[in-house]
Amino acid sequence: MPKISIIVASEKLDKLYPAINLAGTAAISGWEAELFFTFWGLLALKKGYEPSDVSLDYKQYSGKLSEALASGSMPSWRSVLERGKATGKLKVYACSTTYELLGFKEDSLESFVDDVVGAATFLGRAKNSDITLFVS
Amino acid sequence: MEADLVVDAKFKSCPGPLLALAEAVSKAKPKQVVRLLATDRAAPSDVREWASSIGHRLLEVKKVGDVYEIYVEVSS
Repeated sequence: MPKISIIVASEKLDKLYPAINLAGTAAISGWEAELFFTFWGLLALKKGYEPSDVSLDYKQYSGKLSEALASGSMPSWRSVLERGKATGKLKVYACSTTYELLGFKEDSLESFVDDVVGAATFLGRAKNSDITLFVS
Repeated sequence: MEADLVVDAKFKSCPGPLLALAEAVSKAKPKQVVRLLATDRAAPSDVREWASSIGHRLLEVKKVGDVYEIYVEVSS
């Protein structure tokens, strides 16, 4: 089966959703999916995090997005992630450097995070990917 | 076409219909037919790709008004 690896470097709604939707869809399609959250992307792994902001340049669309999410027409990132995780094919990694930088502790992270790893570990896991993306 | 299960994912955008279908299929028995109802224009091609990737059979796609009726047979 193919493999997709995505580096997520932003916690904003318009960055997080595309990354999670692709990874979740890959996993339910039988693919392996690896997500590496680094820099501001790591903020999305903090317990209880819910994105409400979009990137500043696209602020005028935040109302539309919030509506789509509130009405349920757009599936929430958590529901997509959970479906992906349930397949056992989707892995979520937190970047160790940003973890230290932001002062995270063991209990800061959501339980769906598989591990806190460094660059070399993620590269090792991602090296045989068919698709590799950087979302920031 | 007859279906054993119906999944209503109307007014859900991508990847909502596929998630709903995948969940239903994971609980269905081999050879059962699932009818997915969707209004997302991407649903027919998404289901086609998903089914071929994971080994289920896309039997038929119909459009009734604004609603796609997509029939998938669960792999045995």
